Order: sequence, then C-alpha cells, then structure tokens
Amino acid sequence: MISWSAILTIAYKEFIHVWRDRRVMILLVVLPPFFTFLFGHAFEGTSLRDVPAMYFDADNSKESREFLDRVKAKDTFLWKAWRGDPNGQIDLFRVGVQAAIVIPEGWGDGLRNGEPLPIRLVLDGTDTNTAPSVQGVLQEVLGDYQSSRRDNLIENLPDEIIDLGKNLPREIRHEFSSMMTPWEIKAETLYNPKLLFIDYVVPGIVGLILQLLTVTLIASAITREREVGTLSQLLVTPLRHSEVVIGKVLPYLVISMFLIASTIAVGNLHFGVKFHEPVLLTITCFLFLLFSLGLGLLISAFSRTQTQAIQISVFFLLPVFLLSGAFAPLEQLPRAVRICSELFPLTHFCRAFRSVNLYNADVGYIAGDLLFLAIGSVLTCAGAAYLLRSIED
Amino acid sequence: MSESLIVLKNLSKKFGKKVAADRISMAIRAGEIFGFLGANGAGKTTTIRMLCGLTKPTFGKGTIGGRDVWRERFAIRSQFGYVPQRFSLYPDLTVNENLRFFCGAYKVPRSKVKDRIAKVLCDMDLELRGTERAGSLSGGYKQLLAIACALTHEPALLFLDEPTAGLDPTHRQQIWDLLYELSQNRTTIFVTTHYMDEAERCTDVGFVDQGRLIAKGSPRALKESLTGHLLEVQIEPAMPALFQLRKLPGIYGVDLRSGNLRLHAKDPYALLREWQSHWPFPDLRFFGFNWVEPDMEDVFRAYSQGYHQTDSLTEETVGAGPGR
Repeated sequence: MISWSAILTIAYKEFIHVWRDRRVMILLVVLPPFFTFLFGHAFEGTSLRDVPAMYFDADNSKESREFLDRVKAKDTFLWKAWRGDPNGQIDLFRVGVQAAIVIPEGWGDGLRNGEPLPIRLVLDGTDTNTAPSVQGVLQEVLGDYQSSRRDNLIENLPDEIIDLGKNLPREIRHEFSSMMTPWEIKAETLYNPKLLFIDYVVPGIVGLILQLLTVTLIASAITREREVGTLSQLLVTPLRHSEVVIGKVLPYLVISMFLIASTIAVGNLHFGVKFHEPVLLTITCFLFLLFSLGLGLLISAFSRTQTQAIQISVFFLLPVFLLSGAFAPLEQLPRAVRICSELFPLTHFCRAFRSVNLYNADVGYIAGDLLFLAIGSVLTCAGAAYLLRSIED
Repeated sequence: MSESLIVLKNLSKKFGKKVAADRISMAIRAGEIFGFLGANGAGKTTTIRMLCGLTKPTFGKGTIGGRDVWRERFAIRSQFGYVPQRFSLYPDLTVNENLRFFCGAYKVPRSKVKDRIAKVLCDMDLELRGTERAGSLSGGYKQLLAIACALTHEPALLFLDEPTAGLDPTHRQQIWDLLYELSQNRTTIFVTTHYMDEAERCTDVGFVDQGRLIAKGSPRALKESLTGHLLEVQIEPAMPALFQLRKLPGIYGVDLRSGNLRLHAKDPYALLREWQSHWPFPDLRFFGFNWVEPDMEDVFRAYSQGYHQTDSLTEETVGAGPGR
C-alpha cells in the first residue's frame, strides 16, 4: 500500500532542493514568461516586412515613377541605394539585399504603345519563403497600377465612343463591364479570423518551454542522488520505488503548473491570445506535464551521471522541437517523419491544445491525444520505478 | 548464548571476472559489535551492501532474523539502519530537515517524530546544530548526523561502513562510545573498518582478504591463536636487518616497531635454535629477543598470509640468544 505521508516526505525534500538552488529558481521564474515574450514576438506576424531591396529605374518615366511610388508605399521592402551596375545587373549577396527591381528603359512608352515590357525582378532563391512572397507583392502592386490606369482610360474616353458602346447588344455590354471590373474572392476565415499566427503558435511555445524545463529539471533528480551517494541511503529505507517516483514527480508537477500559468498569462495579457475551455486545457497540460516528467525521470534513472542525463535530454529534445508541430503544421512534414513525430508528447499536446482553443473541439475529439499522454505518463513513471529496482540488481 | 541474527552461507559476489566476495560463511549473534576488517578493496563494502539488499548476491545466501537479505529485502529494511562509507546525506538540507526526511523515509509514526529527532540530536551532540546545513558540518559531525539518520527508526541492527575513516581521534572515540551505548541497549552493530586498532573494540571480528573470510572470532581468541609466533628481536643496524630477515624461509613478516624488529615466524623456536648454533648475518649484530603479545594488526597480517595454518609449533623453551 502506497503511503502518502512517505510520498509527501520525498516531495517536500525535492521541493527544498529546487527552492534552495537560487539560480534554478530564478531561471524557473524568469525564463518561461521571458521565452513566451521572445518567441511570441518572433512568431507574431506572418506579413512580409522590411525585405532589404534595391531598385534601378532605367526608364525614369512618369509611369515608372508612379509604379515605384506605389511599391515604396508598401512596408514590404527596406530600400537601399542602387549598388548594381548601370546595365541593371546585380549580385544580391555582395550588396546585401534579397531583391532588386529593374525597370527597363522604354517601359512607360511600352505601356502606352500597347507593347508593355516586363519589369525585371531579381530574387534570392535561397530563402524559399521570401522569394515567392516578394514576387506576389510586386505582382499585386502591378495589378493595382494596371487597374487604376485602365479606370483612368475609361473615364477619359470621348463621348462618341461611350455612345457607340451604348449601341452594343446588352449581353456584350454586361460582359464587357464584367471584364472591366476586378473579379474578387470573398474569403471567410474560420477559427482564427484575424489570421493571427500568435494564436496558432502559443501552444507550441508553452509546450516547448515546459518540455525543456521539466525534462532537464527532473533528469538530474535521480542522477544527483546517485552522484552524491544518497541513492543508496534512499533505497535502503522501506520506501517503495513507486513512492520514490511519485514523490519526485509531484513537486515538479506543481511547479510546472505554475509555469504554465505564467506563460499563459503572458500570452493572454501581452499578446491578447484568448484561452477557452479552461478545464479541458488544464487536463491537457496536466497529462502533458506528467508524461514529460515521467520521461525526464526515466532518463534520470537510466543515466549514470548528471552530465549524461542532460546530454540524453538534449538529444531527445532536439527532434521534439523540430518535428512536433510546435511552430509549423505537421502536414508539411513527410509522412514517415510524421509517424515518428506521433511518438512525441509535444505533438499530442499541441494538437489537443489547438483543437480545444482554436477549433472549440470537445473532449471526444482530443480523446486519442489525451489517452496517448496518459498512457505515456504511466509507462514512463513505471519504467523509472523499474529502473530504480534494477539499480539494486 | 544469543541466537544468530545475521547468518551468511557461502555469500558471494562477482563483478564480471572479479570476485568481490568469495563464499563468505559466518553467523553474528544479536547484541554483538561485529567488526568486519580488511584492507581497502577486500570485499567489506560489497558484503555489507549485499546484507543491506543493495547488491544482489551472485550465489550463496544471507539472512537477517531468518529472512533472506535479497528476496525479502523490502520486508527487512525497517529492521536495520545503514551508514554508508561516504557522506550520503542531503547537503542543502539542514540537520533537522535531514532527520525529518529519514523519519518519513523509515515511516516513523508522525506522533513519534519529534521525540525521536530530539533524542538522536541529544545522543549525537547535535542539539545546537539543528538549523545548520548538513553540507556545512565538519567531517565528524557529518558522520554523527549520518548515524543519527540511520537510528531515527530505532533499528535492532545497525550497519556502518567505515564510519570513522578520516576522522580525528576525538570523533572516533565519540562514535565508538556511541556504538557501545547502542550495544548496551541490545542493538547489534555490524561495522567495517580498516583500522586494526578498532578491531580491539569489537566483541567479535571477522577478517576479510581478497573477498574471503580468513578468520573470525573474538579479538582475544584471535590474538591467543598467534601467541608463540611473534617475537621482537634487537638487531643492529635495524634497517638492513629488516630486509635481510624478510628473505629468510619461514618468516612471514618483519616490521619495525619502536626501533625493534617485530618478527612473525612459522616456527620461531626452530629459528632461534638455528641462530644459536649459527648466526647467518656477519654484517649484523644480534643483541637479544623477547616474546611479544600480538595486536590485531599482527593477527590480520598473520591470517592474511596463511600463518594461522601453522601446525608445527614446538613448545620447547629456547635459551639465551644466539651467538654472533
């Protein structure tokens, strides 16, 4: 029969270890909100801003200036003075920009003469996200400029032409009118209507910080005892292995719940992220923490020294950070990698948290993720208890 | 005679090819102060760890109060206390916090915790240090605290693995006084040490060498078994004599003690007779000899070299010293 009094004795001792280690305490108090603040701002926006760029207006016509004024009105680019050669050739890397716009000589005349010349856009293809986005922005500006010139042209047509137009058959007039009007898509965005990336990324930030802190904190819990020599003392007492494991996990679980509260507070107060279904989110966080702590304890029981424990933790955490869908949808990963990522607790935490917070999913929808986290918690804690037993062998 | 509390039957432990404990068989009675002696690496700690259920025996069996030390280790852990070789308490916890933790770990009833802590603090002379961090205590007080922690549940048996190693004489004496007091109150003490003088303080001792138990008995009996094999000879110059005597057949060991050479011989009578007829070292001068009472160091040295198996003692009186 498990003795809760014995468990509390161990839990109190573990808490004192953390409490008396001032450096760790400061890290625990400062790091989670600070990281949330930092990562939150890092992933806050999706719009492209301040891409270093240059332009070369070889035409220097009224049209080219009007077009460039429209481009410059966007905050997509951070303009630098032209450092390419006078023929419009440029080595982006050497001059420190990611894009260059070259308006060829005669571009304005071409627009008027019905023989429009293409604008040359030079892009840095190594940044696979920025290059197509920059092209899209320029295409949009060019389209707008073209529309405005067309509207202007229609407004200034002579009356005879208008009258001639009125004599056209009704269907042709309407189709012509439709052709002259930009066709639109009316987008209706569900779940994250403002398209705030921060709302999507907050569970990733919370999970990432907690996974990092919990695993590394508890990973030294048993190895420290092994190194100091207190593990023998502990094992020679009538304490059961399950009591040792629960007693060690308990204080870290309580501390971690406070850490979650602090990260969520920053997410809510500073970034304005809304959190729904507090009970379901708390259960998700609780099971995720339990699994993470169990995992840390397993690493701790397996390792011989604290250095080993920290190294194993880091090796485990590295793929977790990259492949658990904390910052990018899992669907972007290859299928084989996605299967691997299903083994990580952070993957299930992020999915369950987002499902509840962004999609208002009910418990039935995230039951699979919660079950995985619960089974993982039991298995890792039982594994740690088994390894403790095997230390005696 | 009391019943045996600890019984070992061929208890053995191998680490790979290395034999740390080799078929150790012995019985220790309740209430004894049993000293388990041997050099560093002789197998003392392995044996004590097997008895505490911290290391699984490779073969053989050990029992405490009739219960198997490995199979029933969880059941018997509340019956003994264990003080490991190196300081193994929590340095960032205070003395009181360490004691409270071990009360909880040994599942001392909550109503008795306060009294138990007060008692062990008093017994260990730690009353004024309750709020000090364990890590800041001196070596002697650390060891006293370790013993205090192992006694919080008032065990009937206390294992101590080299409790006095590295301590000053005052703290060593303090710890031994404490062990006497515990023994007086019927606590059985199983203490390992490599200090041979501490063996004199035990009621019973066992010598372990290279994993094997080479002798067991009371210090007096063990010393008596050596009587007649040990003599002190006055030879000048002493240092060359020490090396030359060591080369002689039938000599187990020669040591320099207080300027004289202490000589362990298989048959000292025969040796002295031979020296009387012919002194084999022309460059050394022999001035005389006298029989000496063996101490525990002599006993250990003798037993570790198989000296105890000597069966050819001649009780013949040896006359005056040999001629030159």
